[in-house]
Amino acid sequence: MSVTWSNVVRCLDAIRTGEESMASSRQCIDTMRRHDRPKRRIAGPFGARIALPIVFGAIAFVGVCRAGDMNTAATGGIQAKLSYCKDCHGPSAQGYDGYFPIPRLAGQQTEYLENQLRAFIEHRRTNNIMFNVAHALSPGMIAALAADFRGLDPKPIGGAPTRYVDLGKKIFQDGMPDANIAACAACHGPAATGSGPIPRLAGQLYPYLIKELVNWGKERGQNPTKPDTSAIMSPVAHSLNRSQIEAVAAYVSYLK
Amino acid sequence: MKIIGAKLVLQTAVLAIAFSGACRAEDVKAPAVSKQEVAAKLAYCEVCHGVSAQGFHGYYPIPRLAGQQTEYLENQLHAFTEHRRTNNIMFNVGHVLSPAMVAALAANFHDLDPKPLDGAPKDLAAAGKKIFEEGIPSGNVPPCASCHGPDGKGNGPFPRLAGQLSDYVSSKLTNWDKERGQDPKNPDNSAIMEPIAHGLNEAQIKAVAAYVSYLE
Repeated sequence: MSVTWSNVVRCLDAIRTGEESMASSRQCIDTMRRHDRPKRRIAGPFGARIALPIVFGAIAFVGVCRAGDMNTAATGGIQAKLSYCKDCHGPSAQGYDGYFPIPRLAGQQTEYLENQLRAFIEHRRTNNIMFNVAHALSPGMIAALAADFRGLDPKPIGGAPTRYVDLGKKIFQDGMPDANIAACAACHGPAATGSGPIPRLAGQLYPYLIKELVNWGKERGQNPTKPDTSAIMSPVAHSLNRSQIEAVAAYVSYLK
Repeated sequence: MKIIGAKLVLQTAVLAIAFSGACRAEDVKAPAVSKQEVAAKLAYCEVCHGVSAQGFHGYYPIPRLAGQQTEYLENQLHAFTEHRRTNNIMFNVGHVLSPAMVAALAANFHDLDPKPLDGAPKDLAAAGKKIFEEGIPSGNVPPCASCHGPDGKGNGPFPRLAGQLSDYVSSKLTNWDKERGQDPKNPDNSAIMEPIAHGLNEAQIKAVAAYVSYLE
């Protein structure tokens, strides 16, 4: 594949809409890069200066084109984007233990999902990969994805140590009043299904829950000009010690 | 003899005063809680009851405590621990609190005055105002204002309703006799509201809940 105008447009389009799988989009870019290299050597810095405006032009152009057919909100577009999300979040969005633990989205509250996608875009929640994924999504697409994930109900992937599940249950349902640790159930519900802006925890990945609770203050509520609901969890996450976090994470990870 | 007698009396009196002083100091000291402990516990309460205790929509509607009558707050905390009022989470929260902590928390919440959390359907408020102020004489429902006050601020054992979450008020009125006065051996003043809650239908409950939720 050579670097032609139509190839640039096709690749960018593929990435934006997810019409090709991520793997083939990457392949597409890699092929372009390989072909690009010798040319750049010949063209020198001049070539790069010309190439950059072309790429920007192409992005702008793609943007204009896509804005046109966004209104027709192609179901095909949503399906393609869903399968793109599931590349990482698992085939039924039940979560996936990748290099990072990648959270379950299935059955999640739509309000929470939409808020998190916006949080990535607005740098309220720090995650470079999700920033890149989210900032290309139109509001209509965000709503459609959230609604779709909400409707999924696969089994939890499990795998957490079962030794402290009972302690986790106690913390989740009753809290630890002596240590000023609130009962998770008060906001997340007795079955951990969440409510509106408060996320479902049932079936969530054990390592993901641990990572979030341990790093809460470093990952959420990161834009001081835009404080958000993540502040509510901040003192709770802070007051749990490591073994309490592991216990409660194990308990909810098995809830259906 | 007289001198010795007077000396003895004096010594005894001094001792008695000193002793009673020591006793009083201990009485005051024993149940006291430190400012730090109270601050930590308040922060813990506000995780669920919202910033400034103005209430919070968790999985359940979690009531506003700000501006609440201290007597009512203390009575409810006791009600949870004595199983007069059914609520598993609040039982666990309540039963570890010392009497001094209960008093300190109640006093703190009473002094808070944030704006109502809002969110109830405004169009219901007018009908709610009428019920609140005039009652429903045909249905033998007295005006709420007669006990809760014309501005819904409550009085002693009668809770403040002003600024309370409307969905919380609705769920209490709907489930009154399933949640309150649950210990037959230990009847409490929740019995007063029972026939009134029973006499209101769903639409009337929603209206009056919307009205009080906007009162400041």
